[in-house]
Amino acid sequence: MRRRTFIKSMGGGTLAALATGNSAAATSPSSTGRYLRPPGALAEDDFLSRCIHCGQCGEACPNRCIKYFGAENGAAAIDTPYIIPREKACILCMKCGDVCPTGAIQPIPREADAIMEHVHMGKAKVDENLCLSFQGKTCGVCYRACPLPDVAIYVGRLEQPHVTDACIGCGLCERSCIQMPQAIRIIPDRGKK
Amino acid sequence: MTTRKPFFLWRHLNKLRWLSLSLVFAMLILLPCLHVYQTYVAAHAYDLLAPSEKQFYDVMESLTVPFIDDPAEDLDVVKGNTWSGNFWGLKLSDPLAVLGQMAAGLSLYWPFILTALIPVLVTMLFGRVFCGWICPANFLYELNSNVAAWLQWAGLRTGVRRFDRRIKYAVLGLGLVLSVFSGSILVAAIYPPAIVGRELYYAIAQGGFGVGMVFFVATLLFDLLVARRGFCRYLCPGGALYSLLGRYHPVRMRRLVENCNDCRKCNAVCEFALAPMTDGFGQECTNCTACIAVCPTDALTFDIRLFDHPEQGPGHLGRRYRREQEEPDNPPSEEAA
Repeated sequence: MRRRTFIKSMGGGTLAALATGNSAAATSPSSTGRYLRPPGALAEDDFLSRCIHCGQCGEACPNRCIKYFGAENGAAAIDTPYIIPREKACILCMKCGDVCPTGAIQPIPREADAIMEHVHMGKAKVDENLCLSFQGKTCGVCYRACPLPDVAIYVGRLEQPHVTDACIGCGLCERSCIQMPQAIRIIPDRGKK
Repeated sequence: MTTRKPFFLWRHLNKLRWLSLSLVFAMLILLPCLHVYQTYVAAHAYDLLAPSEKQFYDVMESLTVPFIDDPAEDLDVVKGNTWSGNFWGLKLSDPLAVLGQMAAGLSLYWPFILTALIPVLVTMLFGRVFCGWICPANFLYELNSNVAAWLQWAGLRTGVRRFDRRIKYAVLGLGLVLSVFSGSILVAAIYPPAIVGRELYYAIAQGGFGVGMVFFVATLLFDLLVARRGFCRYLCPGGALYSLLGRYHPVRMRRLVENCNDCRKCNAVCEFALAPMTDGFGQECTNCTACIAVCPTDALTFDIRLFDHPEQGPGHLGRRYRREQEEPDNPPSEEAA
C-alpha cells in the first residue's frame, strides 16, 4: 500500500509534467515555473528538505496569498507553499516566517532593512512593449504599489518604471499592473534549483 | 481472597477520550475558520463581502469578541494542527515530522527538534496515547469502524482480514529512506493525521480538498472493505514510531485475573486487535481505555510497570478456570491444547 501510494504520487507528478505540454495546463504554476516561495524561504532544495507541509504559513497569511501545490509540480513539492503574484501578492507582513516551525521560511523582523537584506523572492522585470508608460500613456501604478518606492523601483519620464537591484520580488507591482497581460512581472529567485 | 477493584473513574475515561478526540477535530475546523475571519478583518472591506461571507464574518465575530480585542493579531496565538502547531508561543510537532525532516534534510535543526520534546516524553510515559486520544484521523477511523458495524448489522460483509502488524515498521523505515533520497518529507503524504489537518484547512480556507484527500478516502475504504482499522494497525508510519517510542511506557493496562470471566468483550472492542483478555497489550496499546469501559466485571485497570504482566491464564470467574480447579491433575497447558 505504502509503496503503491508513493508510486501513484510519483505518477501524479509525471502526469502533471506531461500535461504541461497541454494548453489546458497553461495556467498551472509549474507550466512556467513562475511561482514564488514565501518571503524568507530558503533556496529551493533546502526549502524542500526543511518544509514539513504543515500549512501554518498559509494559515498565518493575512492576505491569503500563500497557496499549496497539489501533485502538479512533482512528488517532492506536494503540499508546499507558493505564491502567484498576479493572483495575490505578498504584503511582506513576515508572519509566515514567525510561524514556520522548521526555519524553511526564516523568521525575519518586519523592518525595511532586514527585509531588504534577507528576502529574495525574485526581481521585477518591465516589458516595455506592454507597459503603458512606455507607450506614451502616463501610468505609474506599479510605482505606487511598491512597498519600497524610489528604492526598488523609480519612475522616469512619463512615469516609466525602472526596477533596481534592491527589488525583493514581493509582486505587488505585478498584482496591481492595469495592463492585461501584466507589463511588469516577477522573475522568481528560488536559489539553486 | 480479596478482590481488587479498579478506580471507579477509569471506566469513564473512554468518554473523556471521545471528548478529547472531538475537541481536537473541532479545533482543526475552527482554526481555519478563524484564519479566514482574520483575513476578512485584515482586508477592512466588510461592505464588499458577499452575503454568505458577511454571515460567516458575523458568526466568527460573535464567537471571538468575548475573548479578544484585535482579531488580526490576537488570533495568531493558536495556529496549526496536530502535525505541527503553535499554542501561545509553545511550538509542538509530531515526532514523525521531526524524524522525517531530519531524514529529508540529513541535518539537525534544534529549534525544530525541540518542538517534539513534549510529545516524545508523553509517549515514553503513557505509550501510544496520541493515536487513541488526539489523532484526528483516529476520530474518523473509529467512526468508520462504527459504520462497518452498522453494515454488518444490516447483513453486509465488511473487511476482517488480518495482516502482519510489523508491516508498519517497514513502512516507517521505507518512508524515511525515501525521504532521504527525495530530499522532501514524503512520510507527510501518507500520514493520516497530517493529511486530515491539512485537508480540512485546504477545504475551508483554500477552496477545496487537495490530493491528500484521495489517499485518506482510500484508507477509509481499506479499513471498511479489507481490514478493520487496517491502516492504523498495519500501515501507519506514525503509529509505528509512537509504538517504538512507547515500548517501555510505565503506565500500562493490566488485567485483574481474579475479576475476569473470559467473556472476550475486551478483545472484540480493541481497535488495534490486541488481546486484553490474555494479557496481550504490548507496545501498540494506545491506552484508549475502551476495554476498561466495556468490561462487565471490572477486570481491567491501569498499572505502573515497564513490561506487560506475563500471561495469567484463564480468568477466575470463567468456566475454564473453575474446571481446572475441580480437576487439579490436568495442567493448564494440556487444557489449552
